[in-house]
Amino acid sequence: MDRDRRSASEALHERARAMVRAYARRASPSESFDALAVDLARFQAAHVPGYARLCAARGVDPGALVRAGEAPAVPTDAFKVARVFCFEDGDATITFRTSGTTVGARGRHAMRDVRTYDAAALASGRAMLFRDLSAPVPVLVVGPPESEAPDSSLAHMCGLFASALGTVEPIERTFFVRGGTLMVDELRARVAGLPRQAPAVVLATSFALVHLADALGADVLPLPAGSRVMQTGGFKGRSREVAAPDLRRTVARMFAIEETRVVSEYGMTELSSQLWEATLVDERARAGVYVEPPWARVVPVDPDGLAPVADGEIGIARVEDLANVDSAFAVLAQDRVRRVPGGIELLGRLPGAPPRGCSIAVDEMIGGAGTLP
Amino acid sequence: MTRTFDDRVADVRRLLGAGRRVYEDRARLAPEIAMSTGLTVEGVLLGFSCLEGDATDADLRSLVSAAGEAERVHVVLSANVFVAPLRALAIARAASAIVTVRPSSRDPTLVRELARSASDDAIAVVSDRDVAGVDRGEIHVYGREETLRAVRGRARPGVVVRGHGPGLGVAVVTSAADTAGAAEAIAADVVPFDQRGCLSPRAVIVEGSEGRGATLAAAIHERLEQWHERVPRGELSDSEREAATRWRETVRFAGRVWAGAGHAVGLAPWSGAALVPPPGRHVLVTTVPSVDATTAVFAAMAGHVVVVGTDDPARVAGMAPHGARVAPLGRMQHPPLDGPVDRRRF
Repeated sequence: MDRDRRSASEALHERARAMVRAYARRASPSESFDALAVDLARFQAAHVPGYARLCAARGVDPGALVRAGEAPAVPTDAFKVARVFCFEDGDATITFRTSGTTVGARGRHAMRDVRTYDAAALASGRAMLFRDLSAPVPVLVVGPPESEAPDSSLAHMCGLFASALGTVEPIERTFFVRGGTLMVDELRARVAGLPRQAPAVVLATSFALVHLADALGADVLPLPAGSRVMQTGGFKGRSREVAAPDLRRTVARMFAIEETRVVSEYGMTELSSQLWEATLVDERARAGVYVEPPWARVVPVDPDGLAPVADGEIGIARVEDLANVDSAFAVLAQDRVRRVPGGIELLGRLPGAPPRGCSIAVDEMIGGAGTLP
Repeated sequence: MTRTFDDRVADVRRLLGAGRRVYEDRARLAPEIAMSTGLTVEGVLLGFSCLEGDATDADLRSLVSAAGEAERVHVVLSANVFVAPLRALAIARAASAIVTVRPSSRDPTLVRELARSASDDAIAVVSDRDVAGVDRGEIHVYGREETLRAVRGRARPGVVVRGHGPGLGVAVVTSAADTAGAAEAIAADVVPFDQRGCLSPRAVIVEGSEGRGATLAAAIHERLEQWHERVPRGELSDSEREAATRWRETVRFAGRVWAGAGHAVGLAPWSGAALVPPPGRHVLVTTVPSVDATTAVFAAMAGHVVVVGTDDPARVAGMAPHGARVAPLGRMQHPPLDGPVDRRRF
């Protein structure tokens, strides 16, 4: 990577982290969303040939951009078929990959500087999940350690929360999926041994929670007062599917906590920022409504022209993420979303219409590989 | 009564006669089929050109041999192009003297008309039948892989389930081909059924430079524009439109797109099956330095390729995925009536 490009990248990273720091201090943003967004778009168009092509094909001159919404969004599929980063392969310090097993069907999000991702994740996590916890608390991850899932952005984030916000514990007392096995008895013992005077935080994928619920049956793992559970991700065919309200109810019962303390997080491998439900920090907040941090925006767009739809209308999620400095600041996700009071409703992918013929769907061909982290 | 081999050939030939009579009546049927399929009326009339009207004795004998024999056959048509029931019934009728068929709820017209025209007591159309009620013989199911799995899961022990799953077509254009002629033929293969059939080419592998690929892509775009004037594309569903937009934007990132009112053609280096476009008259063109490199492209979708169309069938046949038919360009939608369209094993 040449010096000018690295210098430009580092300056953009610093601006993104300044926005994150301002949020953490509850201060005003250091600059406008649009100002950083258009500079990111110009940088990415200059150094990601695919983005330059996309801009040209849509008749967009990156130099003339004024607002974030004018810049084309990169579809998540592009992460599967092309390089979506501004540096040489050898400069990547970490590469996250989408789920799936089919060769060539997994998207990759390479990062040269993971500090911006980490800062953004920690700031959001502190605000939405750890807000009222002034000291490190026990963090229990119903998932693998990063060493066992080095290309999972979710494993990275959970590990980050555990190391930065949790009490110091060995791996065996923090991560309860190891070697691909859910360690139910170890988790049971760990929960039973938690100090009752301090809350704990459980981090889990939805499918792991389903497996845990199936394993526990009617048993309960009562967490100390004030504890909370983060759930994230879909089921990806790795467990039976459970409707979100039912899973929330099950998780609350399983850990003997209130449903408002079961908080959903939404992230994608292709992004550096996460959306969170605000039920833990805002009593007016509704489950199923997600809040963006100030450095990210979700814009529902129509599936034909990709223009924003009116508030309350369903559209495809165009996610503008200022922490995606070296990849794509605007990403076209596959999920349908709707802007509602208080945030964004996530409605999942458009259900496939009944097939009108015998042509194979691409998802069927590549095994339904997803983009969840 | 036991049927002889020739009896079975004759039964299939009678069904072909019914197909011809239905074809003659296509103008009356087209609006109803257009409603159910989402094709335009012009698209339905074009689709009728793919309805088998005749077959050689050798082809029919091949079909009867491939069909085997069964005490009875229940045909489940779940997801198929609207002309597919003729071949499905032909195979079932070749195999058995007792055939029941459950048409797709979306698309019952052709089955109904074929059965009526055939006046064959051996064929009964049923509106609904739980496959668990089939107590002997065979079930022939045409649909998505999840449908095939579901039918297998419900079928009684001893009942043979023959599955015919979804797939796609791929065209291979060698360096010897004239790009204008190849584009003309490929467009003719793309347009029928708005590409919703498993014989429809969605990817085109071109031997040569990127420039040659661009020339071919532009030529296919022009031909599809002309087709759109004569045979407009039908309505795409919401999910099809969304998939089309996503694919177009992805290929714009990875390469280049020529978009028309009712189609899009993309050119991009091959980087996996995620680049394969959705149905709806969308074509991905990708180049290879030599046809020998085609096998690497096929690897990502080999099990799903039903037909390979090419200007040089003799040269390409050895590289085609196992089970895929090889056809001349322009004839991908017209396989001989010599057995199932799909020769893969499910």
